[in-house]
Amino acid sequence: MSLCVLLVEDDRELRSTLREALVVEGYRVLAAASLADADCLLTHAETQGGIDLVLLDLGLPDGDGEALLSALRRGRCTAPVIVISARHCDDPKIRLLDAGADDYLVKPFGLGELLARMRVALRHRGTALQPAITRYEHGGLRIDLVAHRVSLAGAEVHLTPTEFKLLARLVRQAGQVVTHRQLLADVWGAEFTEHTHYLRLYMAQLRAKLEAEPADPQRLLTEPGVGYRLAEPAA
Amino acid sequence: MNSAPARWLGAVVWALSWPLMLLLDGHVDLASLAQVLILAAALAGVWLSPIPSMLACAAAVLAFNFFFVPPRGTFTVDVHQHALLLITMLAVSWIVSLLMSRQRQLACAERLHALRAEQLQGLGDTLRDAHDPRDRGAQLQGMLSELVGAPAALLMVVQPSRIANEQPSFIQLGEVDDDERAGLGLTQLQGRAMGPGTGRHEEQAAWYLPLRGRQSSFGAALLRLPALPTDASTVRGHAQALCDQMGLAIERALAAETAAAAREEAQAQNLRNTLLMAISHDYRTPLATIMSSASSLHDQADRLSIEQRRRLAATIVDEADQLARLTANTLQLARLDMPGVVLRRDWESVEEIVGAVVRRVRQRAPAQRVKLRLEPGLPLLYCDAVLLVQMLENLVDNALRYGGEGAPVEVLARRAGDQVLLAVRDRGPGVAPAWRDRIFDVFQRGDAAQALPASADTSAHRGAGVGLAMCRAVARAHGGELRLRARSHGGSSFECALPVVDPPAPEPETAGQERRLPG
Repeated sequence: MSLCVLLVEDDRELRSTLREALVVEGYRVLAAASLADADCLLTHAETQGGIDLVLLDLGLPDGDGEALLSALRRGRCTAPVIVISARHCDDPKIRLLDAGADDYLVKPFGLGELLARMRVALRHRGTALQPAITRYEHGGLRIDLVAHRVSLAGAEVHLTPTEFKLLARLVRQAGQVVTHRQLLADVWGAEFTEHTHYLRLYMAQLRAKLEAEPADPQRLLTEPGVGYRLAEPAA
Repeated sequence: MNSAPARWLGAVVWALSWPLMLLLDGHVDLASLAQVLILAAALAGVWLSPIPSMLACAAAVLAFNFFFVPPRGTFTVDVHQHALLLITMLAVSWIVSLLMSRQRQLACAERLHALRAEQLQGLGDTLRDAHDPRDRGAQLQGMLSELVGAPAALLMVVQPSRIANEQPSFIQLGEVDDDERAGLGLTQLQGRAMGPGTGRHEEQAAWYLPLRGRQSSFGAALLRLPALPTDASTVRGHAQALCDQMGLAIERALAAETAAAAREEAQAQNLRNTLLMAISHDYRTPLATIMSSASSLHDQADRLSIEQRRRLAATIVDEADQLARLTANTLQLARLDMPGVVLRRDWESVEEIVGAVVRRVRQRAPAQRVKLRLEPGLPLLYCDAVLLVQMLENLVDNALRYGGEGAPVEVLARRAGDQVLLAVRDRGPGVAPAWRDRIFDVFQRGDAAQALPASADTSAHRGAGVGLAMCRAVARAHGGELRLRARSHGGSSFECALPVVDPPAPEPETAGQERRLPG
């Protein structure tokens, strides 16, 4: 059975364009124009196998996407949520990511970008039920979290414990953005969430060890103002 | 103004003088004894008010006559011998008493004067420091009430009348009846005082004083007079001075409000013009391209080859992308131009910002065209990363577009004193000298189309106006500056200098303390 996507978007044109594009890609699409619609569809979908992925626009006519996210998570729905934000530098996007959304896209975006994000999110959803990702490969970089082993082009790379914790956190969500706050809380502790300068320092050290040209990273990518993203794994 | 303890001191002086005279009696002659009495009169005059002092002197002279002047024990005076002495004593002690009390009055008046001057200055300072002087109305009201010993009332202009016959809006402090309210209104309107001693409405049992500014008056004060003060004109003068302080302060505040409103209005107007110019100039071209491509796809779909359709679609995607960036720039420019804009600053690494820019730009341009030259060990910047990325992306885009076909574009970052310099350089034809200063504010001047040199390719420059204006706004919002420098062997260098702020304390556990992982 095809994967079911809940698309919550209040703009009619964009909604129908996205719906058609996703149907062409083989997804089953439930489209909602408001939070109320989305609630309705969610309840209905429970009985028919549930939702596999949510595309959530911010700033809906009857409230903010945040309400839906918390409702979803309360109902123990593990479907990944991708936030679609029209606002370039607004905090709600980051708040949603911190609150458990899986990724974000800023309008306007290309279809290719959307499909790539959806693929990554769906892959992670699979692993949410199974054991977490512990291996990562990209070019010559191999990371094995269980064995605490990192190698680049076959040569062992030595990382400090903090560097390793930071890298491991990114590997667990490879391909997806991890916010500054999430990284700081998970690697340093909840009281360090404002200490962004730690992150800058350790990311620079990691890039120096793992990237051919640290100023032009291919793996440890920066999402300005939001966080970091480890490039999608590739053999 | 004599207080009780002071009067008591006068009595003590008199009381002490008598034992002294009795003690000296018999050892000195009568004239010397009289000096003691005169001395006592002078001393007591310092504290006693004139009438009691003169009465005390008279009593003392009589007693002196009785006790010391022969024949003792009687008020009889030997006319030839002692009458002159007694009369002189009385006269001298009275004169001394009078002089003393006059002196005291003068000192008293001086002290009052100083106090009032201080009060006036204090009020002036308070009003100057106050954000809105009308908030300090209660203070003035208190001062005025104290001055006349009865509750005073104040009327202060909040919003002056802008057109004739419009009532200005007021705030009122203190209770007034209808007549008093009317009197206050009239006083404010005419800017002239009423009440006893003012020559206008002398019969009133109150003073109505205007709060005068330079141009007109900005309120009025009501000082009820339970009894007319003895020095009425001085008291009224002081009250008027206090009121004028408030009047001037309100005038200043109103002028500042008007100026701020005018500035905001002008800024908003300027912004609207900028955006309208941007939209009319920059948006029409990509929109026209999208429109023609899309309508071609829509109307001629059956007659187009697959290749042609794909090309049209690609054009639409490209132009829409261009339009999206243009919109982002325009919105950002509008946001940065707004008064009181707040940046989302954090500690950011130059390397990461440049890296993010290059990654984005390479999605649209061949990778090898963009070269990076970053000085190692650059300090962290305290900045809004989203804005800086947008700025550099615009600069790199411009360089790729106008910097010569296929020529490399260089992104450079280095430290220069207490600044970090971010530069985007190309080897293109450069910018004409006449344009170098104006290229950043094309739309601010509203003469973009006319100002373009005849040789310039207008279609190639579209979007640069808003983009560069936005870039400069970003640099300035960060306390930095964006400049265009012509390179010595041709080409342009857009250079953004940003101040370096002291970085926060490093992490307490340093990297050196961490043990290495077992290999």
